[in-house]
Amino acid sequence: MEDATESTEALRRSFFYGSRSNLDVKFLKDVGDDEFGDFLEELFAATSQTTDDGDADRVIDVLTRWQVHAYAGHLGDPADFPHRHDDVPLSTVGKPLRECRVALLTSSGHFVDGDDPEPLGVVDMTQEQAEARIGEFLREAPTLSAIPIDTPPAQLRVRHGGYPTASVRSDHQVALPLGHLQAMERDGVIGEFAPVAYSFVGAAAQGRVKNDVGPAWAQQLIAEHVDAVLLVPV
Amino acid sequence: MCHVSVGHVQRAFELAGIPTVGVYVRAFGHVPELMGVARALITPHPMGRPLGAPGDADRQSAVVRAALGLLESTERTIVEFPEPWRTRR
Repeated sequence: MEDATESTEALRRSFFYGSRSNLDVKFLKDVGDDEFGDFLEELFAATSQTTDDGDADRVIDVLTRWQVHAYAGHLGDPADFPHRHDDVPLSTVGKPLRECRVALLTSSGHFVDGDDPEPLGVVDMTQEQAEARIGEFLREAPTLSAIPIDTPPAQLRVRHGGYPTASVRSDHQVALPLGHLQAMERDGVIGEFAPVAYSFVGAAAQGRVKNDVGPAWAQQLIAEHVDAVLLVPV
Repeated sequence: MCHVSVGHVQRAFELAGIPTVGVYVRAFGHVPELMGVARALITPHPMGRPLGAPGDADRQSAVVRAALGLLESTERTIVEFPEPWRTRR
């Protein structure tokens, strides 16, 4: 039971790793109290309509639009974006995609059962612990987990404190499309799906990703004769 | 931070000579734009469901295929996936 005098700001913030933590709406920390009211008004109106006609996409649209507003709309001056780069490094495949060996890399936090990266030195860390320690993840370099593409779904694990993981848990191909890429190899869309896919927890120290692990992972994939990479941030 | 992390990785791969394409949800569509990412597909999906809803194999496959289609591009390419979000059907 919350304090009866809880402020609107405290209520908003409680969804961001607080007493009401919900990573689908953790953006509420960063909207104003007036905007929070607008969000609730839209959400309740959509829910009322959906109650009558069953069109759940209307409710999802409200949620998604507010995610966009909160994350992309609160940027301020794009020139102040701390990770801004004005150059665009670009390499080309130089041959048709149907002849390319394509690798998959996602920031979903997947790993194979028995190959836990044990972040922060913790054995068998739970999802709840990962969410509670998200601040510590953001100060560490991430570990790259290798996932053989023929790994049975039952052996896949997900742990990531930065996004709502329920969808990925119920269907790994929401972020780790092993079956889809295997089908595209069979169909000749790509020449080959590289035999090992990779995942890491994207909530990590940005400087380490940029300067250390990113370049190191590139060399690893070059050694595996990869022609191109599909990246799926989550 | 996940999307920014992948932006860094994507840049590092391109710098090392590996062509890349990333699938970003619209809430973080500014990331590839502002980070100088070479190729990106922006989906209208809610955060945490980059390729589609759980069980919606058709949508997931269509998004993967659309992203792969950008890999042959020889210039910077950032495009929006043209279909709205849909629940599993």
